Order: sequence, then C-alpha cells, then structure tokens
Amino acid sequence: MRGKLTELLAHVAAIAVVLAAWEYAAESALLDPTFFGRPSGIARYLWNGFFVSGKLWLELGFTLTGAGISFLLGSACAIIVGLLFAAFPRIHHAAEPYLTLLNAMPRIALAPLFLLWFGLGVGSKIAVGTSLTFFIVLSATMAGIRGVSSDHLTLSRALGATPIQTFSNVTLPSAVPVIFSGLRLGLIYAMLGVIGGELIAAEHGLGQTLAYLQSTFNMDGVMGLLLVLALLGLSVTAAMNRMERSLLAWQ
Amino acid sequence: MHNVAACDATQAMDLSAYSPVIIMRDVSVRFSAGAAEPMLAVDGVSFSVRAGEFLSLVGPSGCGKTTVLNVLTGLLAQGVEGCTEILGQPPRPGNPDVAYMLARDSLLPWRTAVGNASYGMEIRGVPAKEREGIARDLLRRVGLAGFEDAYPKALSHGMRQRCALARTFALGSPVFLMDEPFGALDAQTKLLLEEVLLDLWSSARRTVVFVTHDLAEAVALSDRVIVMSARPGRIVADVPISLPRPRWVRALQKSPQFHEVYSQLWGLLELGMSFS
Repeated sequence: MRGKLTELLAHVAAIAVVLAAWEYAAESALLDPTFFGRPSGIARYLWNGFFVSGKLWLELGFTLTGAGISFLLGSACAIIVGLLFAAFPRIHHAAEPYLTLLNAMPRIALAPLFLLWFGLGVGSKIAVGTSLTFFIVLSATMAGIRGVSSDHLTLSRALGATPIQTFSNVTLPSAVPVIFSGLRLGLIYAMLGVIGGELIAAEHGLGQTLAYLQSTFNMDGVMGLLLVLALLGLSVTAAMNRMERSLLAWQ
Repeated sequence: MHNVAACDATQAMDLSAYSPVIIMRDVSVRFSAGAAEPMLAVDGVSFSVRAGEFLSLVGPSGCGKTTVLNVLTGLLAQGVEGCTEILGQPPRPGNPDVAYMLARDSLLPWRTAVGNASYGMEIRGVPAKEREGIARDLLRRVGLAGFEDAYPKALSHGMRQRCALARTFALGSPVFLMDEPFGALDAQTKLLLEEVLLDLWSSARRTVVFVTHDLAEAVALSDRVIVMSARPGRIVADVPISLPRPRWVRALQKSPQFHEVYSQLWGLLELGMSFS
C-alpha cells in the first residue's frame, strides 16, 4: 500500500516537472506556443469547453454516440456472421475471397464515399466505424471458433451431445475469450473510424472540433482534445478489461 | 452410418454362457490415406468381455489398441470390417450404456470441478438437482473434497484426471471404455489414481475395456489382459490374471506373485513386438 502511494507521488511529481518545463519553455519562447500550445492554455481551453460554455460535452456526446452505435452494430453483425460461417462452412468458403478483398481496402479511404451516401451527420461516421469494427470482430470470432479443442469435441460426441449442445457447451465458451479480445480492438476501431470520419467532414464531434482548431491554429485546443481522446481510449479499455475479468473468471 | 455388421445370432448364442457384454468378431481396420494402398491397422481381432469384467488391451505403440477402442466407441466406423456388439447393439457414439475416458483429461476450463463432473450427465439429460449431488459425492470419493468449486487451472494433472474419473463414473453406464486414462501422469500419481479407479470399480462393477501401454498397470487392474502385436494389430495372447481381489495397487508393487505374472506377460509382449 505504501509502495503504491510512493509510486503515485513519483508519477505526479514527474508530470508536474514536465508541465512546468513546458510552460517555462513557452513563456521564454524556447518552444513556440503557436505550434505546441502551453499547459496553462490547454487547461483554460478544457475548463472553458467543459465547464463554462459546456460545448465540448455536446461534441463528446456526438463522438461517443457514433462510436457506441458503430461498435454495437459492427460487432453484433460480425458475431452473427461468424457463427453463421461456423455453422455453414460452405457459405464461409464462398464468401471468404470477397471479405478478404474488402478487408484489404483501407476503410478510412471509403469515408468520402460514405459522406456522400450518408451525409455530413453521424450516419456517415457510423458507416466508417461499423465497417472497421465488423472485420476485426469477425476474424476474432472465426479464430475463436476454429480454436476449439478437438478433445472437447470428441468427448462431447462420445457422450452423444447434439450439435446445439456441443455448440453451447463447448464451441461458444471456448471462443468467448478470443471474441472478447476482438471486441476490445473493435471498440478502439469504432472510435478511430468515427473520429477519422469527423476529421474529414462533419457538423459535430471531437474530430470535427479538432480539425477546426487545427485550421485556426488553436494549439491549446488541439493538445487539449488529444488528451481527452487519450483518456477516453484508456477508460474504454479499462472498462472492457474489468468486464472481461469478471466474465471470464476461469481464465 | 457405419459398416459394422451385427454379429451372427447363432454364433453369439455360443457365448451366452459367459453373458458377454462386448463381442468383437474378426474385426479388421484399414486406414486409407489418399490414393495410397489402404494400411491394415488391425487384423482379425476377436474377443468378448463378460459383464463386470475388467479387460486390458496392451501392446507396443502403434499396435492398434486405441483403434480397437475407437471401433467400440463408434467414433471410428470407416474402413472397419467384422462385427462388433455392445449389449447386443452395434457401436455408436453417444450410446448411454457406454462411458468413454480419454488420455487427456479434456476438462472444460470454464467449468468448475462440479461442473465438469456433471457435464456428461447434463448431456445425457440427468435433472440438475440430481447431477449436483452425484457430482459432489463422486468428487469426494476420488479425493477432490474441498476442490468442488475450483476451476481446472487451479488443479494439478493428477487432480484433473481424478475429476475426469468422477465425470466418467457419474454417467452410471454399465460399460466403460478407457483409452490410456493415466498415460500422461507421473509414476506415483498413476498408482494413486489406479487405486481410486479400482475402489470405484469394485463398489459398482462395470464392464471395462482399458487400453494401456503399461503392462504393470494392466496386470494390477485387470481380470484379463489381451496382448496385441505390432502393426497390423493381432491378438497374440489372452491371459487371465488370477491375482486375488481386492487388490491394493501400491502393495502389489512388492508382491512376488505380481512380478511373476508381469514377467510372463512381458515375454508375450516381446513376442508381439517381434511380429512386425
């Protein structure tokens, strides 16, 4: 417990030193604040954005809604398709080359097309995010199902398990950890897709705000938003880890 | 489905005096790999097993003893000739009269010991309330009291195989087919598990076909040992083991009687190994 406290204090001290050095460098013109911003400016921007005007909450809401819908839609489709492929290998065999082709395409390059199809609003962002999430989770689902132990299958067969019993008792539980790691990646990719889409063209969202701040040379704002995005990614991953630990206690 | 013909009724009658639970007559197995000439793995194997008899199949590695067992489980049907019957039925996977145990424990890692011991019963439709009681009782008898709610990752190899034994006995099937169940254990753990097996078996006599490459294990456990030759697998000897029961596997290790039977069988096994 004591060691943890000391470690925490050391981290706080290190961050404080870096921030102070940055502030000093900006003040004495060693580091041009036009390009790098400064800690006090970043703090002021975030304070204003979240607690004075409150505008950043709205933008954050747009981005999170888009990412959330992309994640749910993309991973639900991927798991359903993955299970379908596992149940009907012939469909999988027929569809595989096309999926490989689609997956090989840099999806973010499709963003301009999606913008045209789904408009400037959240719809086009969801399209980008979903298309990224889908393939990541699909390949994890397939890998999980393929990785089932042949001993477990033999045992179930010898016991006289029906295909449904084998699937629900053996195949699915053994695939869950692999699917879970796919979901974690999928969530990150959903955010990536949405923010990428917003950067290109949007009415709202953190990506759109970031692009606007960058074009108006508001580096305090850019740095502030990068910090927000990093913290967002971190908390999302932490939440997934926590869920995984409680769901997969047997591992 | 499978091409294992039902055994001829009149011939089966001849054996009725022994009330055979398992009959294999003239069973040959060929494995075909691609276009190559099919490989004869098992050649004309015939034997029968009485109710409550503990029979071991021993032989050098690759002699087809596991293949014979797979024919009995019904997991192997392709390339099988001859006739096989278990309680008058051709073999089929999922036969509720048969419990099968593999060399690897194959415990489901996401189930606790109780969950694993119940798995077979669950598949076979035993009601949940009954399952739990049977599983806990058997776990206690195999020496896993206190570990009922542990996941397999927390169990040692020996403990995992104890749990697999509980799962097998929980089925209550009259016929047990065991494929080197203790083959992956160290020598001391193996002796302990053999004693657990004998203890469970003697309190509820099942008909057992036990495949092993370990002659000492076969002698210690069995009523009868069948020795098979190197590929193609043929029966070279069918020897009754007259050591008195109940047997204590660890005590047997020091008994001259045991070593006498062992060396007699070892001679036959060597003969079988030179067959190829």
